[in-house]
Amino acid sequence: MSDRHVIETAGLWKRYDEVEALRGLDLQVPSGSIFGFLGKNGAGKTTTIKVLLGMARPTRGEARVFGKAPSGNDGVDVRRRTAFVSDEKDLYDYMSVAEMIAFTRSFYPRWRADLEQQYLRKFDLQPGRNIKELSRGMRTKLAMLLALCRGAELLMLDEPTSGLDPAMAEEMLQALVGHVAAQESTVFFSSHQLAEVEQIADHIAIIDRGQTVVSGALDDLRGQYRRIQLVFEGNAPEIKVHAPGTHRVRRQGRVLTVLSSSGGDAVLEELRGYRPASFEVSPVSLKDIFLESVKTED
Amino acid sequence: MLWHKAWLETRWRFIIALLILTVMAASNVFDYLATQRLLPLVDTTVVPPAAEATGLGGMIRDAIEIQKDFRGFIWYQAFRQNLTQMGVFFAILLGCGGLLHESSKGSVLFTLSLPVTRKQLLGVRTGAGLTQLFAISMVPPLAISILAPSIGQHFTMVDALAHGICIFFVAAVFFSLASFLSTLFADIWRPLLIAIGIACAVALASVAVPQLAIFSVMNGESYFRTGSLPWAGFLTSAVIATALLYSAAETLERRDF
Repeated sequence: MSDRHVIETAGLWKRYDEVEALRGLDLQVPSGSIFGFLGKNGAGKTTTIKVLLGMARPTRGEARVFGKAPSGNDGVDVRRRTAFVSDEKDLYDYMSVAEMIAFTRSFYPRWRADLEQQYLRKFDLQPGRNIKELSRGMRTKLAMLLALCRGAELLMLDEPTSGLDPAMAEEMLQALVGHVAAQESTVFFSSHQLAEVEQIADHIAIIDRGQTVVSGALDDLRGQYRRIQLVFEGNAPEIKVHAPGTHRVRRQGRVLTVLSSSGGDAVLEELRGYRPASFEVSPVSLKDIFLESVKTED
Repeated sequence: MLWHKAWLETRWRFIIALLILTVMAASNVFDYLATQRLLPLVDTTVVPPAAEATGLGGMIRDAIEIQKDFRGFIWYQAFRQNLTQMGVFFAILLGCGGLLHESSKGSVLFTLSLPVTRKQLLGVRTGAGLTQLFAISMVPPLAISILAPSIGQHFTMVDALAHGICIFFVAAVFFSLASFLSTLFADIWRPLLIAIGIACAVALASVAVPQLAIFSVMNGESYFRTGSLPWAGFLTSAVIATALLYSAAETLERRDF
């Protein structure tokens, strides 16, 4: 485990009764990064976050945040340095906005009173309002305020924009990016929204069925991943591609499509032997990488 | 601030419990005069043979004898019946809920993300609950002491405090039982109903097994009859309550959310 990584997991397993939510998850989140954590529903994203915050204990393997085990005695220190926003943004219904802020503030010595006032104005939150009266969007804003003002080194956000309209989601993302730029913290956030991940993340990991299937700097991944499409005179041949970095080979009539994570040159070299009529190498989007990575085998 | 949170979560249960128990104690005080007018009309010599054979006749005569003076009436009506029965119910009600119940409302993830241990969370809630329990154990007996002069009677503060302590120790066992059950079930109803079921079972079993007569500790029978506090009962209650709270803490510590 290194100092360069705020979060590291190695061979992390988590079993709930008969369900294996995590199956050997390896993850490294660089310090100072905005890390998008992607996966289908049930892939293990929320379970990973729960393990990283000490809410669930790993069945086996290792999870470290700031080099410490969150489910052990160091869990309190991990949580003191981490701000968390859950998917549901459920807060205490019996408190007012001001009470909720005062309650949360009492646990964080590095609480940023200046940011609190700034975000109260920016998010148009009225301190006297009861939380049970707030809309989902306003609850999300309050949850974000409570996270951003903690003076935390790590922001851990589970689906931060889920259930928000596009305008409010954009407002949240801008607040997040602005905060990270000013405070030099690390952001680890899970999301289904690939567009917003592409918008703000510099590193990503895609998990599927409890395992990491893609991980790295987003620019590097965009540079490495290529779609190679070959068109043949007759039906495309049934072939097995041996070139390293080959992710998926799909045959459809005369067209053979290969997704490669190693630039595509080696794949193209190998496939030229099959004498295609034409070929095309094109860059792929994060959506393509995601869909190819988590696609269920036929 | 965890204390404040615990207070906000339980304040209505506490206030309702305090009001109901105090009103019940006060009504027992004011019932005394009416009862004194009726008691001479009861002929204790006429008891059906069947009741005499089962010992019920003796119990009826004993009950009437005890209630002929104010101290006996209050012990029989308030401490032996109302405050014991309702005290157990409200102790269970105060013990229900907590971190696992929060999971059914969704806010548990926010709570667990705070830089505190689960033992701290349980400890604060238990501390707040026991403080409330102490209040609902002490205030009704003290209300009796304060209101007694208004009907020309006397109930000492020492008697009130002694009975309040008796109620508190045994109520703490049922509070702890409910706290423990609340670490097993996320809803509030199962801990409530199971704990009430256990209390009823103990009450029935104590007729056959005198060692289980935990409610005679709670109603302060030994203090009423002999003036001595049930120290062994206090110690036993404290040990059982501590064991239940320790089990609750261990269960909560191992649980995944």
